[in-house]
Amino acid sequence: MRIRPTYARLAAVVFAAVVASSACGTSPTSSSEEESQGPTKAEQVYAEIEELPASERHAELVKRANEEGALAVYTSMTSEVTDEVIGAFEDAYGDLDVSVYRADSETVLQRVLQEQQAQFYGNDVVESNATEMIALEQEGLMAPYRGAPRETVSDLAKFDTWTGVRFNLFSPSWNTKLVKPGEQPTSWEDLADPKWDGKLSMEIEDYDWYGTLHDYFVEQGMTEQEADQVFSEMADGAKIVKGHTVQGELLSAGQFHVVASNYSYITDTLERSGAPVGFEPMVEPVIARPNGLGLMKTAEHPAAAMLFADWLLTDGQKVMADLGLTPAVQSMDPFQGREVVPVDTDKLLKQGDEWSKQYEEVVQQGDEVESD
Amino acid sequence: MATASPTFPSAWSRRLSTGLRGLLTLKALILLVVVGVIAYLALVPLYYLLWGTFFGEDGFTLDGFARAYGDGRMGQLIFNSLAFSIGAAVISLVVGTGLAYLNVRTDVPFKGLFFAASMIPLIIPGILYTVSWILLASPDIGLINAAVEPIVGGSPLNVFSLWGMAWVEGLHLSPIVFLLMVAAFRSMDPALEESALMSGANKWTVFRKVTVPLARPAIVASVLIMVVRSLESFEVPALLGLQNGIYVFTSRIYFTLRTYPPDLNAAGALATGLLVLAALGVLLSNRLGKGRNFQTVSGKGFRPRRMELGRLRGVMGAGIILYFILTVLAPLAVLIYTSLLPFYRAPSMSVFGEMGLQNYRELLDMEQAGTALKNSLILGVGSATLVMLFMAIAGWLVVRSRVPGRQIVDQLSFLPLVIPGLVLGLSLAFVYLRSPIPIYGTLFILLIAYCTRYMPYGMRYAVTSMHQISSELEESAQACGAGWWQTFRRVLLPLLSPGLIAGWVYIMVVSFRELSSSILLYSPGNEVLSILIFEQYVNGQFTVLSALGVVMVLTLVVLVSIAYKVGAKVGLKQD
Repeated sequence: MRIRPTYARLAAVVFAAVVASSACGTSPTSSSEEESQGPTKAEQVYAEIEELPASERHAELVKRANEEGALAVYTSMTSEVTDEVIGAFEDAYGDLDVSVYRADSETVLQRVLQEQQAQFYGNDVVESNATEMIALEQEGLMAPYRGAPRETVSDLAKFDTWTGVRFNLFSPSWNTKLVKPGEQPTSWEDLADPKWDGKLSMEIEDYDWYGTLHDYFVEQGMTEQEADQVFSEMADGAKIVKGHTVQGELLSAGQFHVVASNYSYITDTLERSGAPVGFEPMVEPVIARPNGLGLMKTAEHPAAAMLFADWLLTDGQKVMADLGLTPAVQSMDPFQGREVVPVDTDKLLKQGDEWSKQYEEVVQQGDEVESD
Repeated sequence: MATASPTFPSAWSRRLSTGLRGLLTLKALILLVVVGVIAYLALVPLYYLLWGTFFGEDGFTLDGFARAYGDGRMGQLIFNSLAFSIGAAVISLVVGTGLAYLNVRTDVPFKGLFFAASMIPLIIPGILYTVSWILLASPDIGLINAAVEPIVGGSPLNVFSLWGMAWVEGLHLSPIVFLLMVAAFRSMDPALEESALMSGANKWTVFRKVTVPLARPAIVASVLIMVVRSLESFEVPALLGLQNGIYVFTSRIYFTLRTYPPDLNAAGALATGLLVLAALGVLLSNRLGKGRNFQTVSGKGFRPRRMELGRLRGVMGAGIILYFILTVLAPLAVLIYTSLLPFYRAPSMSVFGEMGLQNYRELLDMEQAGTALKNSLILGVGSATLVMLFMAIAGWLVVRSRVPGRQIVDQLSFLPLVIPGLVLGLSLAFVYLRSPIPIYGTLFILLIAYCTRYMPYGMRYAVTSMHQISSELEESAQACGAGWWQTFRRVLLPLLSPGLIAGWVYIMVVSFRELSSSILLYSPGNEVLSILIFEQYVNGQFTVLSALGVVMVLTLVVLVSIAYKVGAKVGLKQD
């Protein structure tokens, strides 16, 4: 009987945990909770820094950041990019202990939402895709970020509580062995040409690209029906793929000749490793979607967070450009004179669901590919 | 005056105290703890899932069902899902059972290959396994198609079809069946088969009429797991199905969860559909498992004897070589080949000049690779051991005891199989972010996630083995004065060991691949290997990814060999 109390206690703990988990006051899946009133400590720090003249800002940030000693970043940058970017930041500010959580953009969003709901403040800064940043902005979790570095950013990338740090560019890419020079698509409408039937690949989740391009077609004078027609002809005989990476890999292996809307940096990375793929001359207008960064209202290391934001929009831009990414500051001429149509983030927020459903309809026409 | 007869109150209290003591025996406590843990692990995500399914912003709702099933294409979706999962289940069952039988019960040649054939498809991450099949059997670029084209004219294989999907999934899953069936065949007394042979039945009839019926619990368990597992499978439908518009349940669940805010109503409604199917499956399998005696491990001594195949030996040998080439050698060769290249391209003379170890060097430079390997090992060994230990006890409770409501434990342990990984991750984050015990952000939360996810498999392995062990062995131990725990430890555990080790190996191997809940729950410093694989995948570095896959295969093959070596010392002796 010696063991009895231990087991009984264990059972009691298990039972209590079950009860606790079900007796929690809030619905486990409700999306937002009461916001506390008044500025947080972090918001006060941001405000104090923003009031400083530009000449003192940096020195003060470094001093305070070093006092804080650490920085927690949640990001959906690929590990390759993260390693370079964070590495360069750590080289510049060696006293900071930087921890990074990396995942796909949807998971980053889920993680932040879950933690904030539970009043667990795991991160100081979040960096992710436009769609997810808009969601976080809606939830009111990020503080506005002001200052000289932000002013250098393209207007397409400035939002209330987040700031674009780079762009993902959607553009057609092709296998250079299967598509001879001169035969590559030169306009988006080209992709609807029956000559690509069974040779074109589309990605299943690119509804932001679809919605933006569709609206562009309509603005250019097409009727809704004509625009729909272009997409359904594209999808007719298209090979549908999940994931841009697999798509790039299979393009280089020759599984298809042309990919409708891969990110240019994925094609670029493959091309640099010697794979027979290309995307230049780029089809215009280029569809651009910002990826951005926001400072958390609940940051435990607010000065370090702000220092990171400042750095990412100055020295960090060069690091990203060297990796083949498209920077966001205007001085670096991100689009190099090309015609650019940005993904309309307002529409993405309001019509994202609709776009997503319509695009699902479109890609489901990509059935019955008979390869011969 | 003092009497010897006890007064009423003292008799009452004595009876009560004996009753209580009976209730609080070691046995009762152990069972209570095991049931408590199973219930806790299964109910937390279930509660979260059901809440998400039936409650929206404005209280109770059934909208999720309308959104999930209201689609005009639903009929097609169900047909595809069932065709795919039943196809995969049949393929894996035939292949897995056939191989297990040949391996354990016959004198078939090339036994050394079985080990690799049973493990390697399981170890290769789903995404790599599927992509290697695209590279092998795509009508456009498939190497096999290219090789046979001069002979047959045209491309005979098309991996982008329902058949192709079932084939790849079936092969990928066949090791689960193989492991379950090997355990079943090992614990089978050949006396019954021998009697049938003596009575004039031929080998095929014996196999059909005696062997298969005796292995029925294991077969039923395999079919159940295979069907549910393929209904849930993601990589194969995503990579092979979408290309030609073949949609299944999981593609649906995945996309409903990827929107913001995640449509838990609809995803939950779909998962609830799976839940009902799975619950029916468990009921059915228990019904099928009843009524007959499958107990083949009894007090009578036996030694599984090998059957001589005679003329068939050569044919079977060739079959095994073919299977080995298809499931192991070809995909592994594609992986190794890709891992040596700067980017994938079809083999040619010029390619060989470009081969090198660059990708492996990159792995060595990867900072987290060491930590991730260590964490994955801790989690794999930890969750496999815990799950098998708990499930062995739970298996006893379900199969052997007469405790009322024991079937509920069986059902509970099966629940996590139908809960999507992301939902599991969300529910654990929800609970432990609010728990006073600081588990969130540690490796421990991943351990809980893995134990939950793999509980159903552990339970199937344990229950299946338990069905085969005659209770007379326990009874004799107890007649000789052993307590329940001692009997369990000294008699049952060793007898169960083929099944338990098979389950252990399975859990450890697949835990290396778990991504959907790990990615939400890991924290900096607690990376696991599957996270690194995912990152290489997102980076677009298939070549490095392949190298990582090759390293994983090697690591796990070593580990599994050790497990079998250790296992062989405690289990039924083999020849």
